[in-house]
Amino acid sequence: MRTYLFGLVSLLLLAVGCRPVYEVPAPYDFGNKPGNGPFSPAIRQSMNGVYAVAGGTGQFGQQVALRWSAVNDGADSVHALSILTGVGAGFFNLEINQAADSLSLTGFWRKLVNQDAGQASFSLRRKRQGQVLPYKGPALAGDTLVLRGTFDTGPATPAQPITLTYLRPLNPKPFEIIAHRGGGRTADLLGVSENTLAILRRAARLGATGVEIDVRYTKDSVPVLYHDNRLNQRLIQKNGLSGGISDYTFEQLQSSFRLLYGEQIPTLEAALQTIVDNTDLRFVWIDSKFTGPMNRVQALQQRFIARARQRGRRLDIVIGLPGTDAVDSYRALSSKANTPILCELEPALARELGATIWAPRWTLGPQYDEVRAMQAEGRRVFVWTLDDLPFVEKFVAQANLNGILSNYAPAVAYYHYTAP
Amino acid sequence: MRSLPAYLLLVSQLVAVATVKAQDSPAPTATEERRPGIYFPQAPLPGQWRRSVGVTFTPAPPELTEELRISIPALDINVQRGLGGRLYLAGRLQTQFVQSSLSVGIRYALPLSRRFFISVGDDINGWHGFLKIKDVFNSQAVGLVNIPNVSVGFRPSPDLQYTLKAEAILGLYYGSSVGGLGVSQRSRERDGYAFTFMVEQPYYHKRHVSVGIRWAYTRYNWQFWALYSTFDKALFYPELILNFIHY
Repeated sequence: MRTYLFGLVSLLLLAVGCRPVYEVPAPYDFGNKPGNGPFSPAIRQSMNGVYAVAGGTGQFGQQVALRWSAVNDGADSVHALSILTGVGAGFFNLEINQAADSLSLTGFWRKLVNQDAGQASFSLRRKRQGQVLPYKGPALAGDTLVLRGTFDTGPATPAQPITLTYLRPLNPKPFEIIAHRGGGRTADLLGVSENTLAILRRAARLGATGVEIDVRYTKDSVPVLYHDNRLNQRLIQKNGLSGGISDYTFEQLQSSFRLLYGEQIPTLEAALQTIVDNTDLRFVWIDSKFTGPMNRVQALQQRFIARARQRGRRLDIVIGLPGTDAVDSYRALSSKANTPILCELEPALARELGATIWAPRWTLGPQYDEVRAMQAEGRRVFVWTLDDLPFVEKFVAQANLNGILSNYAPAVAYYHYTAP
Repeated sequence: MRSLPAYLLLVSQLVAVATVKAQDSPAPTATEERRPGIYFPQAPLPGQWRRSVGVTFTPAPPELTEELRISIPALDINVQRGLGGRLYLAGRLQTQFVQSSLSVGIRYALPLSRRFFISVGDDINGWHGFLKIKDVFNSQAVGLVNIPNVSVGFRPSPDLQYTLKAEAILGLYYGSSVGGLGVSQRSRERDGYAFTFMVEQPYYHKRHVSVGIRWAYTRYNWQFWALYSTFDKALFYPELILNFIHY
């Protein structure tokens, strides 16, 4: 029997050592230079839309959605153009080529479902009576915008031609595209860790209009962003320490732990400040992963709702209640005024708690009747965490939701914006 | 392989050709040395049954379950029957009750020497799972997979049999529904591949056991359909296999 056990353990260890490790080397470094360059606000506005794809349809599909976003740093902004594709949760992130005279953009493309990535560059033209002409300013009647460019896979200089031709405006229906864990999972190999300030600044580039962030308390009751129960090697650089977030003070976390891409674990305060001051995001879902009193999180929620309002920002910050512990913490609050909540549990509880949003799991299906009833009562309905691309398409098209939480924000954005 | 019916037709033709060829091959003889085995590539005598019952353990890949470690045992039943001409049928049922997988295939096995054996085969695998848990799941899924395989066996002593089996995993069909909303996909193709290393030997009172591990690198594994993997890359699924053989 000992021989068997030894053999089995050996085989298991051998098996564990056989796990493949995937990486996506960054194909392009964003310069993050502030300013419009030649892309005036009017030109940027006119570029948002659905485009037909010629060349590269195998990689990116027949049509794509283009949408500008910005990260605001003080008085200036860094603008980025996102091209959202319907293939493999794919997207392009392009920045303004400030040095060029023409309207040109450079950047990279990526598919989140795998490691496909590469560089890309485009220049903006206009098409008039079948002729593609140089473009300098806002489109005139009869002009059709055309983006001509090249792309390639891997680090190669882009050489494969691709042309995007404007078809129609983006679907204007109000809808929240909520990026999971601040923008995406660490496992999606985005070059930054989940639940960090860096991923929050990228979320809009991934097509998101909002973010979900996971909040836990440190030993000294500082709310910080972290998903897992344990400080583990999925998220943390190896350091020989173990335990959970609540086993360490905030100072200890800062001095002893680094997230996988070298970032520090951020506080909820810093995250909300980044969202309010630096991004155009309009929705924040604070997922209550903590146990214990909710008042510290509530205070930050109220402070940053007020701050956003002062800045003229349209921003919803809601506290998510994923389970009965969180519901109990919410019930224990001395005042529930100005504390919007999102309830992930059954509809009756969402009603009883006065949740502004009901957010069931997508694996329960579209639940047409319940969705209609909730919306008739003035509540919004989101589902989580929907990543299965054929289902993303069906839910966007058929479920009449107000938003979807996903690790694949580019895919949700593509299906929403390209909907007729 | 773009069309499922055409592909099934091709597979059935290959099986028919193999059957005809097998008629011309010398039949396995009763004098040929044989030991109880399910994985070992040696055809049973015509009309003879081989059976095994056991369990398998497949830990969920961390890419899907992150910090959770899930490994639910699956009941594993194998049945084989000699057809003659070194051909035999192989059937396998794995079940965790809410999800089950059934494979039916045909093998052609040849002794290369007194100690070395080889077989080639093709299995069609169908699986089904359903989950209805209040406020969590209202989902079900089905899949069809083709698994061509080749096995090499080595018998260093009369009571010890080693088998190395290689499989290609070719997805043919996948369908899933949540709350009545369904999606389906055909011809996923080349989902991955797998290797199995198996030891078969006596363990107690002349009873025999199969113990081994299967290393699968695949984009899809039936046991984890409810996790809705969206990765278009092969994940690693180690499967520990323990079966008790009955002749």
